[in-house]
Amino acid sequence: MGVYILCLVLFSVGLYCMLRKRNIIKIIIGLIIAEYAVNLFIVLLGYRMEGRAPIYAANQEILNMVDPLPQALVLTSIVIGLAITALVVGIAMRIYERYGTFDITRINKLKG
Amino acid sequence: MNKEPKGMTLIVKTAARLTAGVILMYGIYIISHGHVSPGGGFAGGVIITLAFVLVILAFGKEFSMRKVSASIASSFESFGAIMFLAIALAGFLGGYFFLNFFINKGVPFTLFSAGIIPLCNIAISLKVGAGLFAVFAVLVMLKFTNGKDKG
Repeated sequence: MGVYILCLVLFSVGLYCMLRKRNIIKIIIGLIIAEYAVNLFIVLLGYRMEGRAPIYAANQEILNMVDPLPQALVLTSIVIGLAITALVVGIAMRIYERYGTFDITRINKLKG
Repeated sequence: MNKEPKGMTLIVKTAARLTAGVILMYGIYIISHGHVSPGGGFAGGVIITLAFVLVILAFGKEFSMRKVSASIASSFESFGAIMFLAIALAGFLGGYFFLNFFINKGVPFTLFSAGIIPLCNIAISLKVGAGLFAVFAVLVMLKFTNGKDKG
């Protein structure tokens, strides 16, 4: 139960960065941290008591393993997070090219 | 005094020269042992991309982009996708999609076993590695034009 509370703390750290920072790069870092917290939470859901990593090894008797299905789902989720990061960084670079600053309080010209 | 303005200092360049090949070999090891130990195509592809990213960061973008350009990355990515499709269709000729068309099944937990999984690992690593490198190359080659006079 404690590890789930810590995942919530990590997610709230990312959420705080997204809400209260003024630099666009710091907002992007907050988004990445929140995404890591969600992936970690999904992997931790598959824990079984006295379980080990779900990998067969050569002459070893494996009795009980943790659930490998959340790990397979999280792999896809990490790839999606990478693509989102690349897209958001590209948008941030275009904003800097147009406005010359990363400060979101100065990016206020609506007419393009 | 730093004579050439491109790239990083001499210490960084020497260290990058020594370790870029080692990182590439480590990535190939992770890919080829994907059915025996943890890792596989995706993780190995990312590690191979990191070897090229190290060269770009240490030597500057003008020098590195002459060696590996973005069009080579695009063709590698397409080749990875076509290879994966070819593995699927080659199994279809025998029975169903992704049929294991190898004659001897091999001994478990050795390198030459587990059917078509090593070939699929290689195809995935080509696609992932080239795709990530293309993303990084586009971000590096972006030229800033002063666009404040528009609008």
